[in-house]
Amino acid sequence: MPHHLDLYIRRESALHGLDPRAKVLAAVGFVAAVLLAPTRPSWPLGLLLMLLICATALARIPARVVCRRLLSLVVIIGMPFLLSRFGGEATRAAGEQFAVRSLLVAATFLVLLASTRAIVLLEVTERLPVVSVFGQLGEFILRGADLLAEEVVRTNRAWVLRAPSATLRVRLTGLTQASMSLLSRAAARSERVGAAMVLRGFQSKLPTATPTPLPRSHLLAGLLFALISLGLAGVGRWR
Amino acid sequence: MVAGASNRDALVRARELALAGLLGALGLLLPIGFHAFGWGGKIFLPMHLPVVVAGFLVSPATAVTLGVVVPFLSSVLTGMPPLAPPVAPLMALELAAKAGLASVLYRSLRLPMWAVLPAAIIADWAVLALAAWLAAGLFAIKAGAVQYIGTAVAVSLPGTILQVIAVPLTVLAIEKRVPRLRPTRREETG
Repeated sequence: MPHHLDLYIRRESALHGLDPRAKVLAAVGFVAAVLLAPTRPSWPLGLLLMLLICATALARIPARVVCRRLLSLVVIIGMPFLLSRFGGEATRAAGEQFAVRSLLVAATFLVLLASTRAIVLLEVTERLPVVSVFGQLGEFILRGADLLAEEVVRTNRAWVLRAPSATLRVRLTGLTQASMSLLSRAAARSERVGAAMVLRGFQSKLPTATPTPLPRSHLLAGLLFALISLGLAGVGRWR
Repeated sequence: MVAGASNRDALVRARELALAGLLGALGLLLPIGFHAFGWGGKIFLPMHLPVVVAGFLVSPATAVTLGVVVPFLSSVLTGMPPLAPPVAPLMALELAAKAGLASVLYRSLRLPMWAVLPAAIIADWAVLALAAWLAAGLFAIKAGAVQYIGTAVAVSLPGTILQVIAVPLTVLAIEKRVPRLRPTRREETG
């Protein structure tokens, strides 16, 4: 199934080949370590950053790609950080913590998403006990996004062919009408999809694929990364 | 008879999932469209539109689930809203409260749309206020939750106006096209 939306970067690397469950385990451990590590002294966070850079290099993801994607967070992270500079000692420290931890956690998610397909992450979510319903609805949304994206492309193509020199007003009116029509058609389409699902044996619960066993070497790799990260944070806090 | 009821439940659930999936897909695509035009997400709240519409058309449980899923999925697929700083979790809370309340009031209690939409928007602001109050305590920030909410509400005013205009029109258009989705009609047939 094609996916128009994704942050995945195709590479042949050890990180890309790692089981997604092991990657999620490693990412969760790393994020916990970033949240636990002290900001003063700063060496634990510095070492965690080095660890993340190693993981990025291992995934053969260009650093400039991660940096470019992090740039979109400049306002969200930068504004509170700058505002905190005008506060007292506690506010300034909180601002630093917020900026450093946010950047590290955001970079971790970016590396995870650049090395793992979104659909694969959703399949992992589907097998977890509490959040499985989110994963199932997420898959529906992905399928819907593919359908709608194709429809938008078709509409746009027809538009370009039929009214290449339309004024902005005409285009905006057309866009509004097309959006309303798209919504109505989406609702009508859901009727057909629902009926088709029942005909195919849907019984109020979506089927999930049987999980394949997680290879021990992959589990160990994920666990090791998480433990090293947590160890660094723990030593930093203890010292 | 039991098998018939079970089949009807399955059909209702299947339709809901399909509709929620398509509205959720719009929740992913609309912000991309708005960003393509250079219109800020914080100003026009494009992700809110389909999720609030879903609140009027699906059951409360599905509406809440959709509200939680859409920001996280958008974050995974496009990187926006970000997971860190925790904008996506905050939006998930906002959308879940907004869509869930709209669904409870409109579909379960069958209140009129003109009363439901303002209540849902106020619920959204209440969740924002709670989150701001918690964050202020957590990060020892001196600025109060009231200032934050005031700024957030003022910035997103165009988006709120857009919702007040577009959501009822869209819901009415969809209900006209698919009459089964009207709450009264559903009660009669159910």
